[in-house]
Amino acid sequence: MNNEYIPFSSEILEVIKHTDIEYTFRLAYKGEVRPGQFFEVSLPKYGEAPISVSGIGEECVDLTIRRVGKVTNEIFEHYVGDKLRLRGPYGNGFDIEQYKGKELVVVAGGTGLSPVRGVVDYFASHPDEVESMTLIAGFKTVKDILFLEDLARWRQSIEIILTVDCGEADAVCQVGLVTEHLPKLKNRNIQNAAAIVVGPPPMMRFTCLGLLELGYLESNIWVSQERKMCCGIGKCGHCKINDVYVCVDGPVFNYTRAKHLID
Amino acid sequence: MSQDINTKKLKKNAFRVTKVRGKTASRIRIPGGYLPASLLSELQDIAQTYGNGSLHITSRQGFEIPGIDFADMPTVNEKLQPLIETLEINQTAPGTGYPAAGTRNVTACIGNRVCPYGCYDTVGFASRIEKAIFPNDLHFKVALTGCPNDCAKVRMHDFGIIGMTLPHFDENRCVSCKACEKYCRRKSVQAISMVNERPVRNEEKCIGCGECVINCPMRAWTRGEGSKKRYRLTLFGRTGKRNPRLGEDFIKWADEESIIKIILNTYDYVAEYIDRDAPEGKEHIGYIVDRTGFEEYKKWALKDVELPSEAIVYSPLYWHGPKYM
Amino acid sequence: MGYRMDQAGINRVFNGLAKEYRLFAPKCFEYEGAFSDTDSIHYGEVQTIEEIELMKKSNHSFKDALLPISETLFYFTEDEVKVADAPAKGALLFLRSCDLHALKRLDAIYLQNGEKDFYYKRLRDKIKIVLIGCEQAFESCFCVDMNTNRSENYDLSLDTIDGEYYLNCQFREWDMLLKENALEETIVMPKHVTETVTKVHVPDNLTAAVAASTMWDEYDARCIACGRCNFSCPTCTCYTMQDIFYTDNGKVGERRRVQASCMVDGFTDVAGGGSYRKKHGQRMRFKTLHKMLDFKQRFGYQMCVGCGRCDDVCPEYISFSNIVNRLDSATQEVSKNE
Repeated sequence: MNNEYIPFSSEILEVIKHTDIEYTFRLAYKGEVRPGQFFEVSLPKYGEAPISVSGIGEECVDLTIRRVGKVTNEIFEHYVGDKLRLRGPYGNGFDIEQYKGKELVVVAGGTGLSPVRGVVDYFASHPDEVESMTLIAGFKTVKDILFLEDLARWRQSIEIILTVDCGEADAVCQVGLVTEHLPKLKNRNIQNAAAIVVGPPPMMRFTCLGLLELGYLESNIWVSQERKMCCGIGKCGHCKINDVYVCVDGPVFNYTRAKHLID
Repeated sequence: MSQDINTKKLKKNAFRVTKVRGKTASRIRIPGGYLPASLLSELQDIAQTYGNGSLHITSRQGFEIPGIDFADMPTVNEKLQPLIETLEINQTAPGTGYPAAGTRNVTACIGNRVCPYGCYDTVGFASRIEKAIFPNDLHFKVALTGCPNDCAKVRMHDFGIIGMTLPHFDENRCVSCKACEKYCRRKSVQAISMVNERPVRNEEKCIGCGECVINCPMRAWTRGEGSKKRYRLTLFGRTGKRNPRLGEDFIKWADEESIIKIILNTYDYVAEYIDRDAPEGKEHIGYIVDRTGFEEYKKWALKDVELPSEAIVYSPLYWHGPKYM
Repeated sequence: MGYRMDQAGINRVFNGLAKEYRLFAPKCFEYEGAFSDTDSIHYGEVQTIEEIELMKKSNHSFKDALLPISETLFYFTEDEVKVADAPAKGALLFLRSCDLHALKRLDAIYLQNGEKDFYYKRLRDKIKIVLIGCEQAFESCFCVDMNTNRSENYDLSLDTIDGEYYLNCQFREWDMLLKENALEETIVMPKHVTETVTKVHVPDNLTAAVAASTMWDEYDARCIACGRCNFSCPTCTCYTMQDIFYTDNGKVGERRRVQASCMVDGFTDVAGGGSYRKKHGQRMRFKTLHKMLDFKQRFGYQMCVGCGRCDDVCPEYISFSNIVNRLDSATQEVSKNE
């Protein structure tokens, strides 16, 4: 019988440094994977951490990791050629098909951009597959902005509103919370407007409320939840909310379901 | 008719000279301060029939019945017989009351018969000590307390017996909830630290309070000693005029048998070295030790004592407290 | 087939079964209680019937035999991973009807909720059940209200009447062994509880909206978040993963999982410092609704089996059955505020 708990080794192919505490590790991986899914990344002796997929290549996956704990601290001590242990991918991830033909907005706060990067990247490369595409990405300060190169590239095919909580506005970056930029969305047919919201819990809550105010249908909003997860396969119980296990039923939830979840 | 009373003799029979001429008070020793409630009616009867109708609960967990005529002492002694028998007090002849008054009542907190912190049955141990040391005229004070909280204030006695729990850890039952670490840190001496997700007990620091065992939700921490209890023995605390002082640690992780033996050995030591001119033949043991030196005392105290392997004997001991002379 | 047996007979049966199984049963561990001179009753291996505590309820449940309190998943060196061995023998679990219903809940999570769990399954595949007949409910039990007072899916049942043992065998392979050691063959029906002193009523209209009730606030102060209710619960299945390295050789170590409690600090901590349900009352609400609402929504039947252990072990005398019985008025309170 398959032992889901045994990790496999994966070589670090590239390390992309975004900020002092946020790197993207490009890891060797062959297999099906969707944006929004996650891997349990581990280093023996230090433990495991669930990390969402921020990019998908032919024979690799990108994991954008924020250095915030015992495991991730240790991961940052590893370089190209070293190996990390993985298991997964786990979770449902985003279903690209659901957004095709929509007027899509992706609202991301901080590292929340990682799990949706694959979605944005897809539609930035295939702009004809959506009615329209806007990315509202918010960060604390200019120094915290992730995926700068991607943002520049995406800007050529989709609309991007880049904003920071504090700092000065300039040609590419505005100031203010992501919610303040929601009214700038110009939807031709609100029934066909879809949104993906990922970020810290308060940011997600207020963004969803803002979108509903604009007339977005609840069923056209998706969020991705972050919880403590030890197993990724519906056993350890840490990620349970109501009757839902974030690791197997999520982390991506339609708002119609997410709105009922009480931690 | 004027009364002719041998006050020396009545004192040795647990009566006392009171400030009211012609009246004595009966002093009733309750080992460990624990008695069947039915005995209270016996005390009530004596107090109302022969005394002035009042009872005093003494500071050593006994009762004192004041206002008794000297002439009634033999009758009161007879009336005390059910108490003496029920409490299993050593006695020379039935119906003659308590036979001695030098060694004081062995006191105890309520211990593990009721208190969750109690590491042993204090009252049971108090009775066994009572059996071993009474009757005796030498001035000894023994007190027992269930745990290091020391509610019984045993450090103010010649022999302070503090219950200890020798914690045993079963790592297979540990879930790393950190309750032991938290309670040890917040309520005790911070002897537990988490290493590799598991608690590690600093044996030197540990005072055996049992907080880790009490608060472990998994039975990973248990009382490793089982029925064989462990104690801290403190020596020669005292109150009094010249140099009141707290008892000092003599043995950590001592066992019951050794403690009884040490107390009995101390009687031999005191008999040998007591100041023959001491007023009323009473001298706090600590003053004797000051004279002979601690090493001499220790030699006597540990004679034929076989301590458990984990026991730690502290030596030499130094006492503190204010000196008024 | 049913059998009447004396002590010597049943011990010969145990002896025979021990060739293939480790026998796990509630057992009295002397002096191992939380307080001095108290015992602890929890599951352990037994060889004879005398070792089994049949009169008292265990504080911890049989689940420790299937989801070990601390279970090593694999060992690692710098480059290699070695799966921890499973015990060679199977396990014979002695449990009461409520606990047998709890086993179904463990299976739901570990075999049906997402991927099957390798470690659970390899133990689960090799267990047999001995149902301890249970005629008289303990004070805190409410199995009848949770519909867990009867069980048929056992391999062997065990009742004690006047010092003799009555067994009903539903696992054909054991019939020969039992017959050889029995005083006689007879019809045996394991006893079951028909009434409990403690009663609970889960309101039919219970929803997650009850989370907004003020009833939970009381537990912010009363509950000390020790987790005893979870650890003693036969249906709690949560665990936490741990990596450790051996202090004598830092390069090797193991990954293990330990039972976890949603009442204990740290349960929801995410890297970077976030956590949910800081208040103990909210943890109580989370646990209560899991047992009496969420699980049912997901699997179709209640999670709680009414064994009452959580009430038995709470050091703060918080009664879970009382909490359940407060849900009705809390639901009314919430609907009035809407």
